[in-house]
Amino acid sequence: MNERDRANILMVDDQAGKLLSYEAILSELGENLIKARSAREAMEQLLRNDIAVVLMDVSMPEINGFELADMMHRHPRFQKTAIIFISAVHLSDPDRIKGYQSGAVDYIAVPIVPELLRAKVSVFTELHRKTRQLERLNRELEQRVEERTEQLRQSEEQFRTLANSIPQLAWMANADGAIFWYNQRWYEYIGAGEQEIERWGWTSVQHPDHVERTMERLQQAWNTGELWEDTFPLLGKDGNYKWFIARAVPLRDSQGSVARWFGTCTDISDQIAAEEKIRHLNSQLQQRLAELETIMQVLPVGVAVSQDPACDVVTGNAALAEMLGVGPGAAFSPAGTDLREHPFRLYQDGRELGLSEFPLHRSALSGQQLGSMELEVRHKSGSTTHLLASASPLRDPAGAVRGAVGAFFDVTGRKRLEDLLRERADLLELATEAIIVRDLNGLLTFWNSGAEELYGWHRDEVLGKPIHEILKTQFPVEDEEIEVALASAGSWEGNLTQTNRDGRELVVASRLALKAQGDAILEINRDITAQLQAEDALRKAERLAAMGRVAGIIAHEINNPLEAISNTFFLLRDHPSLDDEARHYAQMGEEEMLRLSHITRQTLGFYRESKHPVEVSIAQLLDDILELQLRRLEFSKIAVVKRYRSQGLVQGFPVELKQVFLNLIGNSIQAMPEGGKLRLHVFASSRRDSRRAGTWVSICDTGVGIDVEHARHLFEPFFTTKSAKGTGLGLWISKGIIQKYGGTISFRSLRRSGRNITCFQIFLPHAALGASDRIDAPPESLKIAEPAGRASGRA
Amino acid sequence: MPLRNPSRSPSLRDERAAVPNGVILCVDDEDIPRTLRVMVLAKQGYTVLPAVSAVQALELLDQHHVDLVLTDQMMPGLVGTELAKILRAARPQLPIVIVSGVNEIPDDAIFADRFVSKVEGPLALFRNIAEVLADYRSVAGSDIPCVESSSSGSVAQAIPKIPRLSKSQ
Repeated sequence: MNERDRANILMVDDQAGKLLSYEAILSELGENLIKARSAREAMEQLLRNDIAVVLMDVSMPEINGFELADMMHRHPRFQKTAIIFISAVHLSDPDRIKGYQSGAVDYIAVPIVPELLRAKVSVFTELHRKTRQLERLNRELEQRVEERTEQLRQSEEQFRTLANSIPQLAWMANADGAIFWYNQRWYEYIGAGEQEIERWGWTSVQHPDHVERTMERLQQAWNTGELWEDTFPLLGKDGNYKWFIARAVPLRDSQGSVARWFGTCTDISDQIAAEEKIRHLNSQLQQRLAELETIMQVLPVGVAVSQDPACDVVTGNAALAEMLGVGPGAAFSPAGTDLREHPFRLYQDGRELGLSEFPLHRSALSGQQLGSMELEVRHKSGSTTHLLASASPLRDPAGAVRGAVGAFFDVTGRKRLEDLLRERADLLELATEAIIVRDLNGLLTFWNSGAEELYGWHRDEVLGKPIHEILKTQFPVEDEEIEVALASAGSWEGNLTQTNRDGRELVVASRLALKAQGDAILEINRDITAQLQAEDALRKAERLAAMGRVAGIIAHEINNPLEAISNTFFLLRDHPSLDDEARHYAQMGEEEMLRLSHITRQTLGFYRESKHPVEVSIAQLLDDILELQLRRLEFSKIAVVKRYRSQGLVQGFPVELKQVFLNLIGNSIQAMPEGGKLRLHVFASSRRDSRRAGTWVSICDTGVGIDVEHARHLFEPFFTTKSAKGTGLGLWISKGIIQKYGGTISFRSLRRSGRNITCFQIFLPHAALGASDRIDAPPESLKIAEPAGRASGRA
Repeated sequence: MPLRNPSRSPSLRDERAAVPNGVILCVDDEDIPRTLRVMVLAKQGYTVLPAVSAVQALELLDQHHVDLVLTDQMMPGLVGTELAKILRAARPQLPIVIVSGVNEIPDDAIFADRFVSKVEGPLALFRNIAEVLADYRSVAGSDIPCVESSSSGSVAQAIPKIPRLSKSQ
C-alpha cells in the first residue's frame, strides 16, 4: 500500500495510555495513525486531514465522544466520516441509539479485543478508501461529463450556426412532437419572434386547406417514428403563401428510441412554379397534339408521316386511308409485302411506281422536297383516284434524314370536272351557234368557233373587246329593256341585226342569260338570215303565185275579147265597104290593138317551154327585148348603141334567156331615169381560160352605178336596191340561168370622167346544152304558140 | 313576134294561104268570138262548121267531113283538151288545134296538135292551122283516109300517131 493509499485513522482519547494501546493494536494495519487528546484536537485534526475513521472514547473531559460526534455530524464535510466509539461503560440501548443517531457507525466495548478493533477499523478504513476512490472516480467522471458537455455545447453552437445559415427553415421537436427550436430562417420567413411562435403554433402560418392533412401525417410520424415528408404552402411575412417541401427525420438514442425530430422546410415555390409551368406547357402541348390529331383526322387532305429514313412504317390520317382505299389499321406502306397484294398501286403518267418512287420514300431517299406530283391510285376494286402529292424529308437536329411527311389532295373530282369542262368546251366548239360570253362592261371573254364562223372574227382579234360595237349590233329594243329583263327574269330573247367581218348584215336569233353569279352575260346567237330570207322568199313566192293566179284570170278575161277584136280588125281591114278614111281609122285601131296584144303576150303569155333546147340568136333576142322596151327607152331618153359582130347563136331556151337579158336591160333602163347610153355588144369569142367557143354579150349603161357596198351582194337572192319595186331575185335567177348554160356573168362599175359606166358581161358557150336533161321541163313536148317558135325544137 | 326561124319563108306561107284549105270544125261556147273566128277562117278560105259545145262538135263530126278541129279551151261542159282527148282516141288522124285565153298550158294539152294563144292574132292562127294540116298531109299523102275511118277510131289507133309526131321534131 503506498503512501497515497494510506487512510488516516484519528484516535481520540484523553488518556495517553489508551492512545498508545490503540496505536499498538492498529499499527499492524499500516495506516496513518493520528492521535488527539481532546475533542478540540480531534476537530483540528479532522479539519487538517482527510480522516477515514475516528476512533474515539466516549468519556472525555470537556467534550465527550457523543458531543464530538454531534459536532462532526453537523459539519457537512464529516457527516459521512465513520466513527467507532470505545466505551468503558456499558452502553444502554438508548445510548446506542443515541450513538447511531449521531452518526456513529460502531461501538467497541472495553476491554478491547485487539483483533476486533483492528477488524472494525480495517472495515471502516477500507470503506473510507473505497469511498475516497469512488469520490475520485466521481470527480473524474464529473470532469469528463463537464468536458463532454463543453464539447456538446460547442457542437450545439456549430449546429445552430449551421442551421441558421442553411436556406431551409429548420426546426427541432421532442419525441412527442413538441417543437422546441426553430432556426432563424423561420423567424425571418414568417416575420415573427420566438414568443409569437410559442403563442400561435406553426399551424397558424399554414394554408388552411393543408393544415388538417399535414397535422394528421405529422402525428402519424410522431407515433410511428417514420420519416415524415409533405408539401404545403406556408404564409410568408409578405402575406403570400409559398410552397415548401417539409421533411422530418427522427434522431434516435443508443437504445433506438426517438430522442427528437429534426425537420426542414424547403422553399419549392420556384420549383412548383416551374413544375406548374411545365405542367401547363405539357397540357398545352397535349391539347395542341390532340387538336393536331383531330385536325389530321378530319382534314380533307391526306397526311402521311414516316419516322424512319427507310419509310418502312408510314402512318396516315383518315383522309389518306380513304384516298388510298386502305382499311383502318392497315399499312400505308407496302414495305415487305408484294406490291400486287397491296390494296392500291400508284401510277404516274400511266407508269406504275415502285416502292422507292412513292412520294415519302422518294423524298426521304433523296432528301429533297417534292413539289406537286400527280398520281393515279388504282384500287383493287378497279376504281381510280387522282391525287396531287407533295412530300418533304424530316431531319434530326444534325440534319440527317429521319423520315418524311407527305400531303395528298384528292383531285379526282377536279379531274372529272376538268374532263367535263373539256367536254363542254368541245361541245361549245361543236355548236354552229355563236356562243359568246361577255362581262358586264360588254367586254368579250369567250368566243367559240361557231362565233368565228358566223362573224368571221377570230377569237384572238375580239377577246377583251366590246363585242357589240364590233358587230354593230342593233337591238330591237332599248338597252334598258334588256337589262331589266336580265335582272328580273335572268334572260332575254330576241332578234339582233349584226354585221360580220366582211360587212355583211346578219340577223341572229339571240338568247341572253345572266350568269348565275351575275358577273357575266351568256349569249347564244343563231344565224337566221337565210331562214328569214327563205321565209321572205316563200312570202314572195306566194305573192308571185297569187299574182300568177290573178294573171291567169286576167289573161283569160282580156285575151278572149282581144281575140275577138283582133279578128274584127282582120275582117275590117280589107272590107270593101270601107272608104279610105274608114280604113285608115281601122288601121289605127288595129295598130293599137296589136300593141295591146303584144303587151298582153309579153306579160300574160304562156310560160311553159319546150323540153329541148333550140338554137337561139342572142342578137335577135336582144332586138326583141329592145322592141318590147322601146317605150321605156324613149321615155327615159336612152340612146341604144348596138354592135352585133355575131348573131350569137346559142343552144338554149328562148324564154329563160330572154328573162336574163330582159332583166339586165331592164336594170340598165331603171338605172338611167335621167337618160344615158345603153350599149349592147354581141361577139363570138374563145374564152381565154377555157378556149371554148362561145358568145360574149356585154350590156353597159351610164346609169347611177353600183355601190361597192352592194357589189358583193349583187348576185345574192333577194338583194335589191330597188326596195319595193324589185323582187331581188332578178340577178340571182339570171346568174343561175347563165351558170346552167355553163356560162359566166360578171360586172364592173367604173367611174370615168364624171360618169358611171356599169357593164355586165355574159359568156355563153356554144355547146353548153346538148339534148340535156339538166333542165326541168314539162314531161311531154309541147308546141307552144310563139310566133317564131315552131317550139318543137331540134336537138 | 318577129320570125326567128329564117328557114321559113313568108312567101311560102302566103302561097299556101291562097289555096282553099278544107273543112274546119270551130267549137266555142261564146257567140261573138266564135262568129268572128268563123268569119275570119272563112275569109282565109276554109270551110267552117261552127259548134257551140263539145257535144255538138261530136255530133257534127259524125255528120260531116272535117279536116281539122279548132276548139276553144274554156267551155262549160267538156273543155277543149277533154274534147281533144276524146277525139285523139276516136279519130287519131284528125288534127286538133286548141285556142285559149289562159296563160298556162294545161297538162292534158298534149292531146291536141297545137295549143295556141288567142292573143297571137288571126295570122298566127292561120299559120298554125296550115302547118298542122301540112304535117298530116305530108304523112298521109294527098288522100285523107283517116278522116273516113273515124267511125272505127279507137284508142289503139292513136298509138302510131306518137312516133309520127316524134319524127317531125
